[in-house]
Amino acid sequence: MFKKFSFEDISAQNQVKASVQRKIRQSIADEYPGLEPLLDDLLPKKSPLIVAKCQNHLNLVVMNNVPLFFNVRDGPYMPTLRLLHQYPDIMKKFQVDRGAIKFVLAGANIMCPGLTSPGGALNDEVLEETPVAIMAEGKEHALAIGFTKLPAKDIRTVNKGIGVDNMHYLNDGLWKMERLE
Amino acid sequence: MAEKPQPVRVLYCGVCGLPAEYCEFGPDFDKCKPWLRQNAPHLYPDLLNDAKEKDVDKAAEQLQAVGISGAGDGGGEGSSANSGSTSGSKQEEVKRLPGGKIKKKEKQEVVIEKIVRNKRKCVTVVKGLELFGIKLSDASKKLGKKFATGASVVKGPTDKEQIDVQGDIAYDIVEFLTETWPDVPESAIFFIEDGRKVAAA
Repeated sequence: MFKKFSFEDISAQNQVKASVQRKIRQSIADEYPGLEPLLDDLLPKKSPLIVAKCQNHLNLVVMNNVPLFFNVRDGPYMPTLRLLHQYPDIMKKFQVDRGAIKFVLAGANIMCPGLTSPGGALNDEVLEETPVAIMAEGKEHALAIGFTKLPAKDIRTVNKGIGVDNMHYLNDGLWKMERLE
Repeated sequence: MAEKPQPVRVLYCGVCGLPAEYCEFGPDFDKCKPWLRQNAPHLYPDLLNDAKEKDVDKAAEQLQAVGISGAGDGGGEGSSANSGSTSGSKQEEVKRLPGGKIKKKEKQEVVIEKIVRNKRKCVTVVKGLELFGIKLSDASKKLGKKFATGASVVKGPTDKEQIDVQGDIAYDIVEFLTETWPDVPESAIFFIEDGRKVAAA
């Protein structure tokens, strides 16, 4: 999704109302309970929160010029990889095998066989339409953030085609956008 | 409230910006190697071995060079310099895209196309001026002034910017282009006629 993404794609940046800010905080807290104690640090109630609207109904939640979360339409908020690397345990994790890394880093969606093979791992609690962290065999840090298309159990049984949509991956446009002015 | 988890400090590569462990899948692993050797040797034990081998190679080369330099100093230096530069230029020539695809350098050429709209009205599209280092906004202003029509920079297909000029100006745009920007040779200007590329000159 962020394969080509630059400052030009941001159509508007607005400081949001306090009520909207509260709503965003609430939905992030609901989605990532592990992040709740940190939310006061990440999104202080007092300081202004900026939402950048981009093409394709994409929103970036920006705090102090650093993009922290993004979502599509009214979908769930997902952390950026830089944030996820700092707090890796906030998301459920999938793991792909080594052979898939190359393709994922080129922006490919995650196919079922890469998750079910010996190098991969699935978290069986995950249902469809859920954001997950994509880890890689033999690596410590996440390499992508995905949005499941199938429940984990179906991924195992179907074992074919796209299992997880690749939303955000290392070295894509959002990754390179470390700061936003 | 639960205790705050401490943020993990991730080692990001100083060259490509990826976490160090992903450098091998990054855009240019070769360039990251020296940095990795210094800052994250534990992630790539192979590299260290490589480096040692290379050092040995280098030492051998130097020995050879010294041997040659016994015969003539200039020759020895030249050979070692050459070996260094060949490896450098190879990397620059071929730009690797992720996935092992090779990116070709784009040819510098200007393509002019006439698009007919409303039967007797048309738009002249000029593509590729930016390849000559010409500012498109300036160019469109100049074109508009010269031909006394509307000219604008438009995002064309595949995200490339092009200039749309109202009216049929194909007849003397070539002269205008070559005169205003001497960098643009007439041989690099092409027309599209009936879907085929035709050289202007």
